[in-house]
Amino acid sequence: MYYLTLEDGSTYAGTGFGAFKPVYGELVFTTSMTGYLESVTDPSYRGQILVFAFPTIANYPLNKGKMESTIPHVAGVVTKDAHARIPLGGFSDEISAFLGSAGVPGIDGIETRSLVRKIRERGSMRAWISQSDEKKDFSGDPFAEDLIYPTVTHSISEIRKSTSDKRILFINAGSKKSVMDNMADLANLTVVPYDMEVPDERYDAIFISNGPGNPESPYLQNVVKYVRTMIGETKIYGICLGQQIIALAYGAKTYKMHFGHRGSNHAVTDGKAVKITTHNHGFAVDKPSAEARGLKISEWDANDGTPEKLEDPKNMVRCVQYHPEASPGPHDTLGFFDMIRKELKA
Amino acid sequence: MPLNHELKKILLIGSGPVVIGQAAEFDYSGSQASLALREEGLVSVLLNPNPATIQTDRSIADRIYIEPISLDIIKMIIEKEGIDAVISSVGGQTALNAAMEMHRSGMFGPHLRLLGTSPEDIEKAENRTMFHELMKSINEPVPESFLLNAQSYVSSISEIQDKSYIVRTSFSLGGSGGIIVNNLDSLRTYCDEFFSENPLENLEVEQSIQGLIEVEYEMIRDSADNCISICNMENLDPMGVHTGESIVVTPSQTLSDHEIQMMRSAAIKIVRALHIIGACNIQFAIDVVSDKYYVVEVNPRTSRSSALASKATGYPIARISTKILLGYNLPEINNPLTKNTSASFEPSLDYITVKIPRWPFDKISSNRKIGVQMRSVGEVMGIGANFEEALMKAIASLDTTESRRLRLYKPRNDLLSLLREPNDLRIFAIFDALISGMTAIEISNLTGYQVYFIQKIQNIVNEIARISIGSIPENLQELKRLGVSDSIIAHFARLDEFDVVKYRLVSGLIPSYRVIDTCSAEFASSTPYLYSTYHGTDELPPSPKKNKVIVLGSGPNRISQGLEFDYGSVKATGALISAGFETIMVNSNPETVSTDFDFSNRLYFEPLTLEHVVNVIHKEGIPKIMIQFSGQTGQNMAMKIADLFGEEIFLGTSPSDIYRIEERTKFANAIGAAGLLQPPFAIVRNEIDAETVFERIRLPVIIRSSFIIGGRSMDIVYDLRDGIRRIKEILATYPEHPVLISEYLSNSVEMDVDFISNGSKFLICGISVHLEEAGTHSGDAISILGPSLISDETRKDLTKIVGVLVREFRLKGLSNLQVAANSTGIYIIELNARSSRSIPYVSKATGIDVVKEGIKMALGMNNPLLEAVEPRSYFCKIPIFPFKRFPESDVLLSPEMKSTGEGLGIGKTLDEALTKAFRIQNPSSNIGESCIVSVAEAYKPAILDVVKVLKQEAVTIFATPGTHAFLKQNGINSVLVFKIGDQRRPTIRDLLENQDIFAIINLPDRRGSTVADGFEIRRMALGRNVPVLTNIRSAKALISSLLKKPKIEAREIVSYY
Repeated sequence: MYYLTLEDGSTYAGTGFGAFKPVYGELVFTTSMTGYLESVTDPSYRGQILVFAFPTIANYPLNKGKMESTIPHVAGVVTKDAHARIPLGGFSDEISAFLGSAGVPGIDGIETRSLVRKIRERGSMRAWISQSDEKKDFSGDPFAEDLIYPTVTHSISEIRKSTSDKRILFINAGSKKSVMDNMADLANLTVVPYDMEVPDERYDAIFISNGPGNPESPYLQNVVKYVRTMIGETKIYGICLGQQIIALAYGAKTYKMHFGHRGSNHAVTDGKAVKITTHNHGFAVDKPSAEARGLKISEWDANDGTPEKLEDPKNMVRCVQYHPEASPGPHDTLGFFDMIRKELKA
Repeated sequence: MPLNHELKKILLIGSGPVVIGQAAEFDYSGSQASLALREEGLVSVLLNPNPATIQTDRSIADRIYIEPISLDIIKMIIEKEGIDAVISSVGGQTALNAAMEMHRSGMFGPHLRLLGTSPEDIEKAENRTMFHELMKSINEPVPESFLLNAQSYVSSISEIQDKSYIVRTSFSLGGSGGIIVNNLDSLRTYCDEFFSENPLENLEVEQSIQGLIEVEYEMIRDSADNCISICNMENLDPMGVHTGESIVVTPSQTLSDHEIQMMRSAAIKIVRALHIIGACNIQFAIDVVSDKYYVVEVNPRTSRSSALASKATGYPIARISTKILLGYNLPEINNPLTKNTSASFEPSLDYITVKIPRWPFDKISSNRKIGVQMRSVGEVMGIGANFEEALMKAIASLDTTESRRLRLYKPRNDLLSLLREPNDLRIFAIFDALISGMTAIEISNLTGYQVYFIQKIQNIVNEIARISIGSIPENLQELKRLGVSDSIIAHFARLDEFDVVKYRLVSGLIPSYRVIDTCSAEFASSTPYLYSTYHGTDELPPSPKKNKVIVLGSGPNRISQGLEFDYGSVKATGALISAGFETIMVNSNPETVSTDFDFSNRLYFEPLTLEHVVNVIHKEGIPKIMIQFSGQTGQNMAMKIADLFGEEIFLGTSPSDIYRIEERTKFANAIGAAGLLQPPFAIVRNEIDAETVFERIRLPVIIRSSFIIGGRSMDIVYDLRDGIRRIKEILATYPEHPVLISEYLSNSVEMDVDFISNGSKFLICGISVHLEEAGTHSGDAISILGPSLISDETRKDLTKIVGVLVREFRLKGLSNLQVAANSTGIYIIELNARSSRSIPYVSKATGIDVVKEGIKMALGMNNPLLEAVEPRSYFCKIPIFPFKRFPESDVLLSPEMKSTGEGLGIGKTLDEALTKAFRIQNPSSNIGESCIVSVAEAYKPAILDVVKVLKQEAVTIFATPGTHAFLKQNGINSVLVFKIGDQRRPTIRDLLENQDIFAIINLPDRRGSTVADGFEIRRMALGRNVPVLTNIRSAKALISSLLKKPKIEAREIVSYY
C-alpha cells in the first residue's frame, strides 16, 4: 500500500508502481487526456507530483509516446487507473519500469477527480508519496533546490540541423526536447545552459526555454541579468519559463498562481481569434507591472485573463507562456516557430 | 462579430419522421437551435412533419408548420412568413438536401440567406468526387475512389487494382446503399446487377479501409476562422462497420497524443478548406502501424455524433453552433454548462463514455449482420469512471434479454462466427468467449477490436468468475466498481435482481454521483448534470427542495418506444416545473431532448433499470416519481419500486393497479367482471390447454404473454402449428404465467382513445380512428383525428367505457385505450395506464396541452375540467417503415410494431390530409399513370371499388394473372403482367423499370404460399421507392384522395384549430 499525504493533513491510499521510494513535491494536476509519456518526461515538472485528471493512463504502449527528455523528471505520479489491473504484458509494466528506473514513484487507484477538486479549491499543495501514512514534514520548499540542474547538459553545444544561416543563442533552462527540436529546425543553435557564461558572439536571436520551478529562483538571476542587457541588442524569444524570465528582465513581476494551468485545452485569445493551446505553468507574469514596463499583452487566457503572450515589437521581443510545441496537445500554435523563422529572415 | 441584426425571422428545417439514420438527435439539435434563436430575440419558424418531436411544440418554436418537407411547401412558408434566413444544419440529411434543392432552384439571395456553410461548400463536402478532389488539393489522404457508370464500368474495372472496395450511391442517408465487395470479380457482379436495374445511375467505388481504427472528430468553426475540436471518439468496431452501428468510446482510449493531434490538425485544415460555419463531423481511419490516416467522410452539419458528443462532454454543440450562424464568434459566447468560462475551449473529460447502438432485431426478423449501412434505430450511452463501468452501464441501458444476463451460451463455432462477422451480439460474444477461456489476443484478432478493450472486458470477466451460486457475491464491491449490473450479478448468482438491489441498499453499497462539467473539475460548474459511479465521492447533496419529482425517460429509441415518449417526458418536466416542482430526469439516451441539461432541474444520465432508478430515488431522499412517460420501461419496474419505497411515491396510477392491467389474464378477468366487451379469449396454462382452445377459438388469433419473450409480447397466428409452437416457447420461459389467446377481430374499426383522469373524473382528449382494420399494430396503422369521423353513439359508448375503466383501475394522469368496434359492439383490446405513442399527435391535433393537463389531474390539482375538443381539421398520422434496411424481412404488417417513426399530414379536408400524409411517407412518389394490382383470392372482391376509381381517372391497371382474370370477369380491363417466376414478360420488374408506376396494391393471403410470392414483388417495389399498399382499406382511402388532387397548402398549426 502506498500513501499520498497532503499538506492539509489528508491521506489517500493506493497501489504503488514505479520506484519504491518516498518523494516530496508540489502536488499539481493536468487535465490533458493523452500524452502521459510526454508529461512525465517534461523537465518543467521537476519538483512536482503530477496528478492525471484523466482516469485511465498508459492505455497505449510507451513507444507510441514522445520523450521530452531521456528520463522522467516528474517527482511522482498520481493516477486513477494506470491500466493497473492487467497483470502481465500490459502497458502499466512499461511505465512502472520506466518510472522506477529513474527513482520516480507512482500511486494508482486514487480518486483523482476528488484530488483535483481539492487542489482547485485549496491551491497547489505540498505532498508526499510514501509507503507509510505517518505524519510528514511539509516545511521544506520543493522549489528551494536548483530544479533545473538535473535537466540540462552542462556544456555548451552547437546544433546545426537547419539549412538556415541564422544563429540563435538557446538558453536552456530545462527545455523540452520538442522545444529544442522546433528551434533547431529554423536556425543553428548554440545551446548554453542557464548556469554558464554566454560566449561573447553575435547571435541573430536569443531564445529562453521552458523549465521547472520559480522564475525568481536565485539560480536564474544571471540569466535574467543577461537578458536585460540584450534587450534592443538582438531579437529575444521565449517559451513558458522563458517568458517569465524575459518579463523579469524588463523589471516586471511574476507571481505564483492558485493552482496554475496544466492541460491541452486552454483557449488563448488576442481579443479576436482563439487558439487552443497546451499550458504547463504554475507561475505567471503580473499584468500591470508588465504593461508598466513596456511589454504589451497581446494574448491572454480566455477564461482568467492570464498573460499568455508578451511583446515589445520595437525591440523585437516576443514570448509566450503557453507551449507552441504542444507535445502533448494541439498544434494550433506551431506558427510561433514560423513567426521566428520569418523574423530572422527579415 | 456580434449578432447579425438584419435577421428577424428564421426558418428551421427539421429532419422529418424518425427513420434509421435520423432519429431523436435532430429533435435535440433542432430544439437547441430554436431556443438559441429565442434567446437572441429572433422568431423561429419550424418546418417538420414529425408530430412526435418536442421541437414542434409551442414551448420550443414560435411558428410551427407540421407539413411535408418539399420545395412547394417551403416556398409557401417563406412567402407567408416573410422569412429572412434558413437554417438547414440541424435537421440532418433531410434538411440539408432540402436546402440544396432550394439552392439549385435559385431561392437564396440577398433577401433569403442560408445561414452557415454555403451550398457550394456543402456540395463539396457531400459529393464524393468533389470532396476527394478538395482533399487532394490540400494534401489530405483519402482512399482511392472511382465513379462508375453503365457505359464504361467494364473497362474502368479492368484498370483498377484487385482490392476490396466499398460501393455506394451519392447523397446517402445513414450509410444506406453502401456495400463491401472483396475483389474485382464481386465488384463486376455487383455492377452488372446494379446497372441492369439502374442504367442511369452512377456508382461510387472506393478502396476499402476495413480493419483500421475509425475515429471521429466533432468540430466547430466560426466566421472569424476559429476552430475547435469538441471531442474525438474512437469506434471499437474497426472500419467496415458504420459509426452509427459501432460501439464508440469517448474520448479515444488507445490512441497516442501524436495520433490524436495529427488527425485534429487535419480536421482543422478540412473545416477551413470547406469554410464550415457551425458544427461539422469528420471521420478518419487510422492505421497505427504505419502511422497513416485517411479522411473518410465529412458531415457539414450537426449529426448523430454531435448529439452524442454534446451529451458525452456537456458541450452543447447545436446551441453554440446556432449562435455562430447568427453572427457570434466563439470568444463572444459563454459555456452554458459552467456559466463562468468561455465557449472557446475544448472539453476535457475525467470520465469515459461508451455508446452502444440499439438494433431492432427483436422486432424485425432478419439476419443480425451489421456493416456499412445503418440498421440500428437508437442508442444508449453509459458514463463511468473507467472503461469497464461505462461499458457495463451502456449494456444495462440497452434493456434487452442479453443486457440482463450478459451471456449468449452459444457453442464455440457459433461464437467464432459471431466474433468474426460484425453483428449486434458481438459484444456479448466477447464475454462468452472470454468466459470460455479464449484469450484477449485471439478475440482481438477475430473481432478487430483493440486488445486494450478486450483486456478491459477480461477484467470484468475475472470478477464475474468469482461469483458463486446462491449467495450475494463476496466481491460485490469490486463488481460494482466495474459497473456490473445487479441483474447480471443476479443472473450469475442465480438470485433475483430485486434481492441484489435490496441487499445493496440495506448494506449501504450505493454509488456516488459526479458532475459532468466539461473541464475535469478545473472549474466549478453550476449545472447539475450527473452520473453515478462506484469510484469517488458524492459531489452534490440531494436537492433540499421538498416538492420534487423524478421523471423517468424512455431509454433508447427503439421500435415501439421512440421519440413520442421523449416528447412526453420533456413536456412532463416542464409541466411539473410550472406546477412548482423541482424535476429530476433519469435517462440514458444521448440523442434526446430529455437528456439536455437545460430541460430539467437535475439530470441523472443513468440506465433505466430497476437498480439505477432505485439508486437515484434513494440518493434524492425518496421523492415522488412519475413513470407515465417512460413507455413500458417504467410500467415493468413499478411494482418493485413500490415494494421498496411504497406506492405513495408514485404520481399517477398506482403500481398495483398497473399490475392488474399489465398482467394479461387479470386484466381480461377484470374487464369481464366490469361488464365490458372484449374479443373471445382463453387463458392457457399448458400445451394441452392450448390444443383445446384452438378448437374453440377461430383462427387467426392473437397470442399475448405478460412479458416480452424473444422481443415480442404479442403474436398474430394464422396457423395452428405456429400457435402451439409460440405457446410452448412462452410457457417454457415463464411457466408460472398463463398466456392469453384472443380472437382476431376482422372487419372492425380500431380506435385509440387517449384520455386524462384523476381516478374518477376524466376527459377524452382524442379518439383516433385507424384506417386499417383491427390487427395492425396501432403504431403501424394510419390513424386519423378529425371532425365527424365517429358517430355520436360510438362517442357516447366510449365515454361510458372510459368511465368504467377509470374507476375500476383508479386511473390517474394519462392513459390510452385501444378498442375495436363493429356492428356488435365496442371491444377492448388494450389499456395502457401511461402516456402513449399518440399523445404528441393528439396534443398537436387538438391544441390541448395533454401532458400538462394530465399531470394536473394526476396531482389532484383542482383545475376546472377542460372541455373536450373536436378537431376542426383532419390529422392523419402515417407510419414510416425501415424495410429498405432489412432486405430479408417482409413489409407485411402484424400486431408487432415495425415502424420507426411517423409523419403527420394535416388538411382542411380529409383528402388534403391523406395526400400530405402519403407525400410524407413516399416523398419521391408522384401520382403517375399506372398502378400494379396483385391480390390473393380472398381479397379480390374487395378491390373492385379501388380499381374502378383508378379506371375513372384513366390510370392504367397492370394485374397479375389471377387478378387480371378476376377483373376481366367483372368487366374491367387490365394489362396482364407476370410474376418473376412465371418466365413470361412483361414481368413486374419490367414495369417497375420502364413505367411510371405510382403504387402497387398487393394483398396476399396471410396463410401459405402467396405470402412468399408477394415477398419478391414487395421487395422490388421498395428498392425502387414505389409505395406498396398491403391493406385494402388504407389503399382505398389513400388512392381515392390522391386521385382527387386536392389543393395542398402550408398552414401554421393554429389555423387548423
